[in-house]
Amino acid sequence: MLKKRHILLMALLGAASLGLRAETLTVAASAVPHAEILEFVKPVLAREGVDLQVKVFDDYVQPNVQVAEKRIDVNFFQHQPYLDKYNQSHGTNLVGVVPVHVEPFGIYSHKLKKLSQVQSGATIAIPNDPANVGRALLLLARSGLITLKNPSNIFSTTRDIASNPKNLNIRELDAALLPRVLDQVDLAVINTNYALEAKLLPTRDALVLENGTSAYANLLVARPDNKNSPAVKKLAAALNSPAVRHFIEQKYKGAVVPAF
Amino acid sequence: MNWSVLDWHEIGQAVVDTVTMSGFSLLFTIVLGLPLGVAMFLTAKGRLMPQSGLYALLSLVVNFLRSVPFVILLILMIPLTVWLIGTSIGVAGAVPPLVAAAAPFYARLVENVLREVDHGVVEACLAMGARRRQIVLFALLPEALPGLLAAATVTGVALVSYSAMAGAIGGGGLGDLAIRYGYQRFEIEVMVVTVALMVLLVQLLQWAGDRLVLHFSRR
Repeated sequence: MLKKRHILLMALLGAASLGLRAETLTVAASAVPHAEILEFVKPVLAREGVDLQVKVFDDYVQPNVQVAEKRIDVNFFQHQPYLDKYNQSHGTNLVGVVPVHVEPFGIYSHKLKKLSQVQSGATIAIPNDPANVGRALLLLARSGLITLKNPSNIFSTTRDIASNPKNLNIRELDAALLPRVLDQVDLAVINTNYALEAKLLPTRDALVLENGTSAYANLLVARPDNKNSPAVKKLAAALNSPAVRHFIEQKYKGAVVPAF
Repeated sequence: MNWSVLDWHEIGQAVVDTVTMSGFSLLFTIVLGLPLGVAMFLTAKGRLMPQSGLYALLSLVVNFLRSVPFVILLILMIPLTVWLIGTSIGVAGAVPPLVAAAAPFYARLVENVLREVDHGVVEACLAMGARRRQIVLFALLPEALPGLLAAATVTGVALVSYSAMAGAIGGGGLGDLAIRYGYQRFEIEVMVVTVALMVLLVQLLQWAGDRLVLHFSRR
């Protein structure tokens, strides 16, 4: 009896000392889906000796500030275009470690079943704010409907359309209005959050969906000095694991797609 | 500033869009708002055909439409707009919501202008055995004409600035250009030119309105 208790105590002490020796990794993240994905990998990392501390931010500047000033190790909330812009304007050199997921733009239609059915002179509605105009035009270009003067410019505007062989009538509307006018246009390029709110299911209803290779994949971001540290590498590997892919596909049903 | 970045074709189109949107909207605003304003004037307490229930109803509708934020009105009206003209986007799609926002405003101004007409005019007409329709058409409205024109000018100016928000539904126009390129994309030149053109447009409208008011005030 005494012996049994003794063993239990030893085991507990052993576990506690392991816990103390576990390396802590702090990560700043947006609430959905970023923090949810991180919470999902937390037990995996704990088994590998990394104590993942998730700090949720509802702001898009502080997570970068905190990481750059070494108060937090890594962050997970942004895509490459945003990171580039941030580094450029703040003189930081934060780096992407791995892409994790995309909240994809989709091309939707109530009138057409396939993109090949697009007639000459068709009307396409796209969002009208600068970041989304560029993103929508890139998707149209990748779908072969138009070409852009500079296909890598994520801030292209309708002025930067190089060719429009089908003579499409591209209309810029308020992003939240797009699902509401879908009946009146041939195609609309819609942000996933607005599509979902309008009961459109990206994986089922979109004619074209941005894929995991999109420039807008959300990244795990670190500093040059810690991007190759064992803990960050473990987190990166966990985030790109088949288990996370399965989790994303099951939980978000196409509203968020894996980018690895 | 680098003025060569300006796309004059685009700016020209924006002027056409703004003038088209505000012009058609003003026309329909007067067509709908004038009778509504007259009806409110007539049914008010102590007027020619007091109907307190009807007056309260009209007044409520007017206050409702005037208090709904314009962007919300744009969205709420989508089904009605589609039913009326077949689309809720572009310049044409912007006109019904603009009218819905401006007609109640104009109606309220009309009611106020008519109240300012000397009640002696109405009494004189009644003494001469005039019917109510005759009083309205041949005494009240002609008497109030300068005020009605001034009210239409004020409404027209309001429509020019409301039309800036029509960008949300792809209506285009100067205000939309100023917001999307001047404000959001920091193209200061676009902002300067579009705002200057809007100021010019409002000045022209006010000047024309004032001329008309003066013309009909002399008699």
